[in-house]
Amino acid sequence: MTVRNALRFARRELRGGVRGFRVLLICLALSVGAITAVGTVRDSIENGLSREGASLLGGDAEITLTYRFASDAEKSWMEETAQTVSEIVDFRSMAVVDRGDTKERGLTQVKGVDGNYPIYGSVQLAPAMDLDTALAGRDGRPGAVMDPVLIGRLGLKIGDAFALGGQEFLLTAALQREPDNAGGGFGLGPRTLVRTDDLANAGLLAPGTLFESAYRLKLPPGAQPDAVEQDARTSLNAAGLRWRDSRNGAPGISEFVDRLGAFLVLVGLAGLAVGGVGVYAAVRGYLTEKTNTIATLKTLGATSGTIIATYAFQIGAVAVAGICLGLILGSLIPVAFAPIIESRLPVPIVVAVYPAVLAEATTYGVLAAAIFTLWPLARTETVRGSALYRNGADATLPRPRLRYVATTAVLIVGLVLLAGWFSGLMVLTLWSAGGLAVAFVALWLIALATRRVAKVFSQSRRARGYSALRIALGSVGGPRSEAAPVILSLGLGLTVLSAIGQIDANLRTAIATNLPEQAPSFFVVDIQTHQLQDFLSKVRADDGVSKVETAPMLRGVITRINGSPASEVVGDHWVLEGDRGVTYSAELPEGARLTAGDWWPADYTGAAQISFAAEQAAEMGLSLGDVLTVNILGRDIEGTITSFREVDFSTAGIGFILSMNPAALAGAPHSHIATIYGEAEADVRLLRNVGDTWPNVTMIRVRDAIARVAEILSGIASAANYGAAATLLTGFTVLIGAAAAGEPARTYEAAILKTLGASRRTILVSFAMRSAIFGLSAAVIAVIAGATASWATMTFVMETDFSFEPFSAAVIIFGGVLATTLAGLAFAWRPLSARPARILRDVD
Amino acid sequence: MAVITLEGAELALDGNVGRVDILRGIDLSIEKRETVGLIGPSGSGKSSLLMLVAGLELATGGRVDVLGHDMTSMGEDALARFRRDHMGIVFQSFHLIPTMTALENVATPLELSGKADAFDRAASELEAVGLADRLHHYPAQLSGGEQQRVALARAAAPRPEIFLADEPTGNLDATNGQIIMDALFALRDKHDSTLVLVTHAPELAERCDRVVRLADGRITA
Repeated sequence: MTVRNALRFARRELRGGVRGFRVLLICLALSVGAITAVGTVRDSIENGLSREGASLLGGDAEITLTYRFASDAEKSWMEETAQTVSEIVDFRSMAVVDRGDTKERGLTQVKGVDGNYPIYGSVQLAPAMDLDTALAGRDGRPGAVMDPVLIGRLGLKIGDAFALGGQEFLLTAALQREPDNAGGGFGLGPRTLVRTDDLANAGLLAPGTLFESAYRLKLPPGAQPDAVEQDARTSLNAAGLRWRDSRNGAPGISEFVDRLGAFLVLVGLAGLAVGGVGVYAAVRGYLTEKTNTIATLKTLGATSGTIIATYAFQIGAVAVAGICLGLILGSLIPVAFAPIIESRLPVPIVVAVYPAVLAEATTYGVLAAAIFTLWPLARTETVRGSALYRNGADATLPRPRLRYVATTAVLIVGLVLLAGWFSGLMVLTLWSAGGLAVAFVALWLIALATRRVAKVFSQSRRARGYSALRIALGSVGGPRSEAAPVILSLGLGLTVLSAIGQIDANLRTAIATNLPEQAPSFFVVDIQTHQLQDFLSKVRADDGVSKVETAPMLRGVITRINGSPASEVVGDHWVLEGDRGVTYSAELPEGARLTAGDWWPADYTGAAQISFAAEQAAEMGLSLGDVLTVNILGRDIEGTITSFREVDFSTAGIGFILSMNPAALAGAPHSHIATIYGEAEADVRLLRNVGDTWPNVTMIRVRDAIARVAEILSGIASAANYGAAATLLTGFTVLIGAAAAGEPARTYEAAILKTLGASRRTILVSFAMRSAIFGLSAAVIAVIAGATASWATMTFVMETDFSFEPFSAAVIIFGGVLATTLAGLAFAWRPLSARPARILRDVD
Repeated sequence: MAVITLEGAELALDGNVGRVDILRGIDLSIEKRETVGLIGPSGSGKSSLLMLVAGLELATGGRVDVLGHDMTSMGEDALARFRRDHMGIVFQSFHLIPTMTALENVATPLELSGKADAFDRAASELEAVGLADRLHHYPAQLSGGEQQRVALARAAAPRPEIFLADEPTGNLDATNGQIIMDALFALRDKHDSTLVLVTHAPELAERCDRVVRLADGRITA
């Protein structure tokens, strides 16, 4: 009976339209829409990556070796196992254009390929031609294709010549699309593609130079990649080998998308919280307006259960509509943005409706709607029939009963745990939820404080005589104040934006400002041992150079610790991911400091000894006396840790995790790296002098590398900003909803003020001031909360210094004040233009 | 000397059912210090007539002169300033600003006219109507009778030359109604003002110097 009556009452009330619920509808639609859109984009990319896995990888499987080619035995195994094998070599070098009196140089990531490349997919060139034709060259000069960015940078035209090391190439086409370029990860230079055979005379692949070789395998139909991998690991020299197959063609991108997607879903949750505030305010406002109806129904015999059910049905109906709208919106947005997303990715994405994403977003929407409506809904229980004899709308309702509070708490915990489970980042979710809770409480307290301060000021002698200000303060501090919903919703949105702004600005500062003060001008790689002395003399002779450091450079993989597989001993640690730089030195390098143990004697020739970076050793739980097995060039070298030393990676100088005694690495072919410190003016001269003398040596300008890193960071920051924008949009909706909900009250107030003699200007100024007060409060707390979050991120995650960025903060404060003021003024037109008599008579 | 003069004043409003004539050619003259009771059945136009005099509604025909000013030719802000300086208005539904305390409500018109002692005067006006202990209460915390006394104090605070009261006891019980009427007439006497009182109750109208009857938008007597 209760349910039937409630349904009937609910239907009758909804006949009048959903005007009172418009904000609830929009807030839920936006929040659910944002989460759906992010999830759909993530799944569309992942689906695209998995569909194009083989072509991204360049084969069904890939074996990568660090600075060596496969041995004959290894090649035989590959040829027996695969239908087709393609050998790729990848390294950094300098592309040099000789213009007679001047030489133009550009850092490039060279890829040498054989005739089988690419096994899957195709290379797109401009002008259109096949790769074989392009690389065949003309007039005895081999052909090369190059990234259009580098072509532009070097001022080349198709048909021009350039050199890589000692070999001249003919530029035959621009490289438009490289099917397998997503697997390579981060490269500092744009791509140049040539035949590996044509590099034979370039002098760039001498023993000890830094290159990677990759063997792409086309497996026979029906071959199981995991079984072939097992076979490879047992048949080949497994230690220095890295295996990938088309199950995960572009692990870097896939992982990045996964992480970014999860992060953006968490930002979406902040949006959900902001939307929730709007839902709460809308439901509370609606039910407050219905106080007389509720009191009348109670007078006529309706029970509290019937009342709650009546309004729960109404809210539920609107919430379902809002969630559906959000799901549709969130599924359509990725379709609209697909071309933009695809232009930044190596594969076409597969935009579709993903049921799992819809289910996830629906779950969030339903839980958020329940959490934020239960509280105001439960308050209807406390409305008494006597409200009819008072001004019901002014009644201050007490807190709902404990069971509703407890249910709300359980729902919140459920939402947070589900979010952790969905995103797969439980710890980050818990931290985010904790941060949100703290921000919520802080904003709620600031809303309370704003009201209290405004009330005190409105009644203080100082405000007397400033009627517009006092009226504004009275409104902020008095009953029916919009302070809580406006400050909470806008404040949360601005907090997310402020945190991203501060983190972004701090990272940029760390990379672009602090580092170059101590960082070298150049990293130099591939200096052959016989070139080292001449190189040092020549560089030191330059007046612009203040310091040169060099070190022998080998690369090795730590495979075992005390005889057990390294990853089993220490778990995931970046030092164990792939190969690391290894050096040797007879004496403790200048400026280095041992934190434990002793350095080996200068003439030591005994069993291999290792000096390990102290901080990383502590993280990995290593101690003196531990035995490490390091695979260098396919050979396992066992060494004992005899000392720990401080290594500062933050200054971009030469820093090695692992240093060994010289005898331990005797015989291993290797080259040297150098860092050159000096004035910026010397850059071009050094590039020319070193490049002309030793074409095989690659010089990486640190300033260029920093620009490249900053570019990547700005891409990440813009993705994060899209997420924050969705949150802010929801915040603005709540803001506009609050302004719209307050319009009748302001119209009434304006009518009375006009009756008492206030000019429209006075009233307008008063409205603007109250909006600005809300905006200022929300923005100030957002800047403080955002800076705190940024400080925590920079200090504990990035482990770097935090400095408060006043520009980002000023933009947030100005934006907050402007947004609230504009929203308030947008709804000032009716109050200002309405004739007082009409308004006051309506109330009579 | 007439302080309020209406000549052929008309008011027509556009409603959902088309244009409705509310007042049809009102001629009325009210002298300084005179008290006039406007009575008539619901919908006769007595409140609308009061709104025309207050400048809260603009006549759609004829002329409305108050203290020598043509109310039909003044802009909205000029009308607001005119009310601030010369009128005190009391409504049936009190119309206090809900976000302000009693003291702030009464001080508002004085603040708007730049009076330095606005709050002191507001406090003494509230004291005069027996609400010295309710200065910092919000309207929702006051009874109907108390709210109307605040409204009276607010109307009287600027010491207006003209009091306009639109059924000030309409929402009150007999006892409170009597208190309000006594207070209203006392304030009129104190400030030596002109009073125009709209009421349904003939016995209240009888307390005025003159009674004007309206029916169907016209003065009948």
